[in-house]
Amino acid sequence: MKDLKLKIEEYRRTFDEDVSRVKDTKTLQDVRNLYLSRKRGYVSLLFEELKSLSPEERAKVGRSLNELKAYIQTRLLSFKEELARPQEPLKKVDLTLPGRKRYWGAPHPVLLFQQEIENIFLGMGFSIEGGPEIETDYYNFEALNFPPHHPARDDWDTLYINDDLLLRTHTSPVQIRVMEKRKPPIRIIIPGKVFRKETPDPTHLPMFFQVEGLVVDHGITFAHLKGTLEHFLKRLFSEKIRIRFRPSFFPFTEPSAEVDIECTVCRGKDRECRVCGGGGWIEILGAGMVDPQVFKNVNIDPERYSGFAFGLGVDRTAMFAYQISDMRIFYENDLRFTRQFALK
Amino acid sequence: MKISLDWLKEYLEFDLPLAQLVEKLNMIGLLVEDWKEIEEDIILDIETYANRPDTLGHLGVAREVAASLNLSLKRKSWPLTESEEETPQLVDIQIKNADLCPRYCGIVVRNIQVGPSPAWLRRKIEAMGLNPTNNVVDVTNYVLFSTSHPIHAFDLEKIEGRSIIIRSAEKGEVLRSLEGKEIALSPEMLVIADEEKPVALAGVIGGEESGVEEATHNVFIESAYFDPISIRKTSKKTGILTDASYRFERGADIDFPPQAALMAASLLAQMGGLATQGIMDVYPKPKSQKKLVLRNHRISELLGMEVDKEFVLRTLPSLGFDVKEENRGIYQVKIPSFRVDIERETDLVEEIARFYGYDKIPSEIPPLQKLEPVFDPKRKSVERLRQLLFHQGFDEFMNFSFFDPEKESLFETEKKAIEIRNPVSSRASLLRTTLVAGLLENVLWNKNRGVEGVHAFEIGNIYFWEKEKTREQLTLAIITTGYLDYLQWQGKSELTDFFHLKGTFESLMENLRYEPYSFQVENHPFFEQGYSLSLSYKGERIGHLGLLRRDILDSYSLEDPAWAAELDLSILFEKQPQSFRFSPVAKFPSITRDVSFIADRDIPYQKIEEEVEKLSIPHLETYSLYDIFSGSSIPKGKVSLSLRFVFRHPQRTLQAEEVDKFQERIIKTLKANFSFQLREGGKIDK
Repeated sequence: MKDLKLKIEEYRRTFDEDVSRVKDTKTLQDVRNLYLSRKRGYVSLLFEELKSLSPEERAKVGRSLNELKAYIQTRLLSFKEELARPQEPLKKVDLTLPGRKRYWGAPHPVLLFQQEIENIFLGMGFSIEGGPEIETDYYNFEALNFPPHHPARDDWDTLYINDDLLLRTHTSPVQIRVMEKRKPPIRIIIPGKVFRKETPDPTHLPMFFQVEGLVVDHGITFAHLKGTLEHFLKRLFSEKIRIRFRPSFFPFTEPSAEVDIECTVCRGKDRECRVCGGGGWIEILGAGMVDPQVFKNVNIDPERYSGFAFGLGVDRTAMFAYQISDMRIFYENDLRFTRQFALK
Repeated sequence: MKISLDWLKEYLEFDLPLAQLVEKLNMIGLLVEDWKEIEEDIILDIETYANRPDTLGHLGVAREVAASLNLSLKRKSWPLTESEEETPQLVDIQIKNADLCPRYCGIVVRNIQVGPSPAWLRRKIEAMGLNPTNNVVDVTNYVLFSTSHPIHAFDLEKIEGRSIIIRSAEKGEVLRSLEGKEIALSPEMLVIADEEKPVALAGVIGGEESGVEEATHNVFIESAYFDPISIRKTSKKTGILTDASYRFERGADIDFPPQAALMAASLLAQMGGLATQGIMDVYPKPKSQKKLVLRNHRISELLGMEVDKEFVLRTLPSLGFDVKEENRGIYQVKIPSFRVDIERETDLVEEIARFYGYDKIPSEIPPLQKLEPVFDPKRKSVERLRQLLFHQGFDEFMNFSFFDPEKESLFETEKKAIEIRNPVSSRASLLRTTLVAGLLENVLWNKNRGVEGVHAFEIGNIYFWEKEKTREQLTLAIITTGYLDYLQWQGKSELTDFFHLKGTFESLMENLRYEPYSFQVENHPFFEQGYSLSLSYKGERIGHLGLLRRDILDSYSLEDPAWAAELDLSILFEKQPQSFRFSPVAKFPSITRDVSFIADRDIPYQKIEEEVEKLSIPHLETYSLYDIFSGSSIPKGKVSLSLRFVFRHPQRTLQAEEVDKFQERIIKTLKANFSFQLREGGKIDK
């Protein structure tokens, strides 16, 4: 019994030492386990020993043992509360100060817009094709049914390198390159840079982007051309946009069409509108059924296959979509302009 | 083409509000670009197409309007006051080159009093935006703008021998044009000549000497058909574009010359002239009328809808076609001579569609059967590259592909630049051989507008001659100059430097899995000596980066240093990147050792890396340089380098003793090779 009483005294002392070293919740838990763990804690073990004593002794020693347990529990609890309290008050911070922003680069607006166009066609199962920017007269003109010395060539002001090589005036030559190597069905778009002999002004550029499209299969009709382009324009502009197809002329399509949308600025209400010139419509696309001569040039039988082609200027269309009045701004690369497009 | 509504009404009786007429014209493909009212008249500005020369006159436009309104054209008669003489008595016409001039008609009008035209004619000429000249010239212009057929009037007395000879020009011949310009003629040009000399450049412009003037009394009227290609070549070569050449090069109506001559003679007769009897018509090989077969099913196959037979049989004749249904749904169509654009069945289908109305053709989504998408890995790589650069804060720029020759010689790209034969301007006469020049322009633009830092890239082609062939090389260029971030309260803004650029390339190469790559110190014409690196992958040099030459920056008036890089994507994307592999996450702890050395300042860090690599220390997971320091505690000419080595065994926990041995090997090698000294306290166990 004396042993037991001594042990109680000793544990009270060692506990005081142990608890004085407690720094954090982790060490506090260690101390608690050391003394109070149900199986191996020192105090728990003493309660086990208590069972071997006589009832009177048990009552006496039991009381001091309970006192020890209560003492330990109280001390541990007060320590726990102390630990829970912040050691030092947090530094005062003005949370209304500006945050640290990370800057992300902005895509070029024309390429961004081109991707919007591409995505609509990718959604309709078109593939994307490309081709050289320096072309031969054959691919840029002759194979597309522009005979040599035909005045139609004047509509495509051309930059020449020599008699045969030129900077492509449209991405249409890729139609020929693709049809030469692949048999129908063909469903492609061809985005890319094109060049014209134009002095830059608000509505003309010597270089711009074009997206050309080509669909060739059995039974492709003008109605399909209309359906495809109407779907495209509604997705690009809005479901409600008014669209008009009217006859036109391109050597590589027959029948040919030009596709207008209602003026995005005046909606046809301003006779003096600088965007549509007062007509209320703006030309967006050139299109048509692939000319039989073009099919013959690539050995596709025009009696068995038919197809349609279309083309639009990306910069020009972006100009209408964003209501930009001068296309040259796309090539100034003014960060105050281009960075706005990071928000798109 | 200017179209006067008054004039149109000479051919057609119609009464339609302007807006409706404009709409009609637009929807049959005669786009009204603008219109204006003058006096009692309205002048439309109509866009015409290269294949429709017949619409370059009021008659042709009237024919289209008539067809779309279901009306008939008015018939006009052209009475003549004739003299006793027959035309051949007064003039002789000989075609020497029938290939270039298959038909030539002429008539003489005598006793002309040359002077101002009557008011009605003057008004017509003015409506076309021209100044009236005199009655004879105005009459020829009236015929041209009425019928689109160009005619010409000569002063008969100035035709030597009264002989009209249509022949090729001879070398050395010269013609003084009506505009007073000396034209050097060459043998591929067709001229109208008299017995001695050329008097007109056929179909393009008349000669001054044979022109009609106040003293003229007898006029010879020419109405011919000239070969379109020949006219175009001549017009291009001489740089003379006239209302006549514009129409002839698009193809005139070969059946029309007698009618045009008659119109002119009749009008001149009304002004007091006397026409000779009979129009002389030299037409050695008359052309037969074009015929085509049109199949009804072809119309629906191309348009995607059925068109009534009645519509076909009504529309085509109203446009001047002669149509007969031979078999059920098969039409034989005779093409009028003024429709030079109609050559195939498809062309007839377009006529049907135009007048049926594009707006009445249904809209359908084509049957989109499954089609394997054609996949271009290059396109995907470019897109990935762009996204990586955006993440790193680089803006995308886009410049024209042209290049100023002055800049080209400044950059010394060592590439043979491609020259444009007919450039937009002399400062854009080459194709660019580098993208950096464009980016510098953009830096200047933005700096002038208060931007403190420009960090940007462009992806696009550069162009050059390679063994007689043109090359287009897909290239990435990056530029970085000025402050990297915005001014902010937490500290000073950081200026960009070479290592920002290099780090960008390192992460690009790693992110695209082009590893291992290597840098070499190597000079390059764009950069300051000793301030550039080349980048190689799989043994091939793919790019350069460095500090741009001072004189280049000066030429753009840029004061701040700018670092730039150019990467050949066409080579890089040809090469296979590492395939993507997942490796399990390490389960066992690593041991990190930091080691600091005192080293010679001149030793390139790359050499240290090479030595460490050579050792192939097992389980050395990574290592990096984390500090370079020089100061009072470091001897002069030396630096303190601190390296961190991380060791890890994939299958078990490494022991400190094992790592000690590895570390000793590294220290020993570096000491031996570079006479490094271990820095006091430089070895820290972690």
